[in-house]
Amino acid sequence: MPPVVELDHVSKAYEQKAAVRDLNLRIEPGTMFGLLGPNGAGKTSSIRMMVGITIPDSGAVSLFGRPFARESLKKVGYLPEERGLYRKMKVMDQLVFMGQLHGLTAEVAGKRSRAWCERLKILDAAQNKTEELSKGMQQKIQFIVTLLHEPELIIMDEPFAGLDPVNATLLQETLVDLKKSGRAILFSTHRMDQAEKLCDEICLMHRGEAVLGGRMREVKSRYKRNRVVIDFEGEDGFLSHEAIAGYRQYPGHVEITLKEHADAQALLRAAEGQARIYRFELVEPSLEEIFIQTVGEKVDA
Amino acid sequence: MHEALLIARREYVERIRSRAFRISTVLIPLAFAFIFGIGALSGKLAGGPKHIVVASNDAVLAESERAELMGVGKGARLSVDVRAPITEPELATLNADVESKRLDAYLWLEVRPRQLEATYTSRGSADFLGKDRMQDSIGHALVREELMKRGATSEEIKDLLTDVELKTLKVSNGKAVTADASKGFLGAYLMTFMLYFAVVFYGVNVAHSVVSEKTSRVFEVLLASVRPESLMLGKLLGVGAVGLTQIAVWILFILLLSSSALWTTLGLGGLAAYGITPLRLIFFVLYFLLGFFFYSSLSTGLGATVSQESEVQQFSMLIVLPQVIGLMLTVYILSNPAAWPVVLLSLFPPCTPIVMCLRMAAMPVPAWQLALSLVLMVLSIYGMALVASRIYRVGILMYGKRPTLPEMLRWLRYS
Repeated sequence: MPPVVELDHVSKAYEQKAAVRDLNLRIEPGTMFGLLGPNGAGKTSSIRMMVGITIPDSGAVSLFGRPFARESLKKVGYLPEERGLYRKMKVMDQLVFMGQLHGLTAEVAGKRSRAWCERLKILDAAQNKTEELSKGMQQKIQFIVTLLHEPELIIMDEPFAGLDPVNATLLQETLVDLKKSGRAILFSTHRMDQAEKLCDEICLMHRGEAVLGGRMREVKSRYKRNRVVIDFEGEDGFLSHEAIAGYRQYPGHVEITLKEHADAQALLRAAEGQARIYRFELVEPSLEEIFIQTVGEKVDA
Repeated sequence: MHEALLIARREYVERIRSRAFRISTVLIPLAFAFIFGIGALSGKLAGGPKHIVVASNDAVLAESERAELMGVGKGARLSVDVRAPITEPELATLNADVESKRLDAYLWLEVRPRQLEATYTSRGSADFLGKDRMQDSIGHALVREELMKRGATSEEIKDLLTDVELKTLKVSNGKAVTADASKGFLGAYLMTFMLYFAVVFYGVNVAHSVVSEKTSRVFEVLLASVRPESLMLGKLLGVGAVGLTQIAVWILFILLLSSSALWTTLGLGGLAAYGITPLRLIFFVLYFLLGFFFYSSLSTGLGATVSQESEVQQFSMLIVLPQVIGLMLTVYILSNPAAWPVVLLSLFPPCTPIVMCLRMAAMPVPAWQLALSLVLMVLSIYGMALVASRIYRVGILMYGKRPTLPEMLRWLRYS
């Protein structure tokens, strides 16, 4: 099967400023792909080229194994970062209209809209004007607009920004279901914890360049498990143990970074002798730490 | 094309459903009727019955003036009393009567040897008859008195004093037809103003709707499935269709009204008397469409360059100004419809709709000029749309600082 999206040495500059530099990227069907990076890293610029809103200065974009053509967009669902809906339009009219723009008949668009509204628990609001709805509800509508035409490729720019935890979870679960049914999903976020939970693959961007990428497991395995989290009660004298490079202490909880090649088991024994241990965990670095570490290196270089 | 039609249909349906459409459909003609009606009716509506006194030291003259005033002020529900001859103290009380509103006004005619002095005193400076007619009536009264002294019968006097009515004719298609000049231009004024309003209203409207789609970021969603050119075309077609619907409602209303019993009872005459002919209505619609497409292309392009609705005002001048030039020259155009500057102006696309509409009311415009104006407008719309769509395509994704002219020129070259 050809990759759903392929960017081949893609670059884009606005006026004098390079937004994306020499970006390579492949997304396979049935993959949840995270495009990560801080604000201004070039995530939105990259996404806009994938959906043909802008055209790369150099390099090539392929969708579904063929060079970019507007025809392919019928199979793409795009959720932009800034939500875009007609404020004065009724929700259901809006959904049907957007569905039609994606090539559905009014009838099919209406049927699917109702099903989605039901699934996302906003059927009651379907006859209201869009501007009367809460921000979270509008986001759900935008979400439905993206998915109505059952796209093979779903591209979402910061999909969970500004959502409350309940709704964020609801949408996350929906995305996971879509992935299981074989869709390719790309979403951008600057929230590393979300990406860590959801993504199979990631690409980390910084200043227009991909600084890190690959399958999540591989990326993480490149970094050693050199962090220890301990929940304890009692003396904290073990924090002066020779294996410890640095730590952050909270009441009854400490996060430790080990020295190079240090023995975690020795630390456990020392701690056990001084305090009551509820939890002792050797954890791999979080994506956030990996990011800070990687970008930090780049900045230094 | 399918996409453009979808966009157009959404635009049309949403607008037709809106309250703003219903209100403007009713309100704009009402406003015009009001403006035109207020002039015509102000004389008749200038308050209730008027009570005035004619005072003079010459009783015959005063009686004669009373008859004149009653004749002239027929529509004004006038009651005229005569106090003649009058004494000085009596004359002084008239001032008090006017002030205390027992009297609306009085006319004091003082006959001296070989001279007549007339003074009209009322509360306001405004007058229900007009100075000219008042003077005429006094002149008539004098002549009447003089004729009676010389033994003329009242029949003879009446014949002598009949006003001459000036009939105006104009040549149309080689025949002289009666034309009530003021009435004939009334229709032209009305149509021209309507045209102006409709083109400006919908032109600026398009700009607002582009900006609002930009601020609500709908473009991002739309652009992922629709070409910017289709978006623009759809918007113009949709809004244009709304304008056309509104005009159709207005025309239908006028046609219905003019064939109604009320119209006949009021004796307002056929529509043709007002210069509203089928040919002119057709061109009215044509020029609306062309003017609309010309100015709304311009306004989509410009609308795409700003990020806030309030900035639209900065360039709405560009839409209003060329048309206002036509409106300001109305009198000149109506009296010199074939002068070469007027002909040139009527062929200059930004001014064509307004100026041509006025010229058509004043003369039968040669067919070649009408045809040329249509061709020139279509060509300029094509050019305008080409430039505007390029600015539009880039502009709708640009936020923040308003682009400078050189920047916009650079956009034109973007692929």
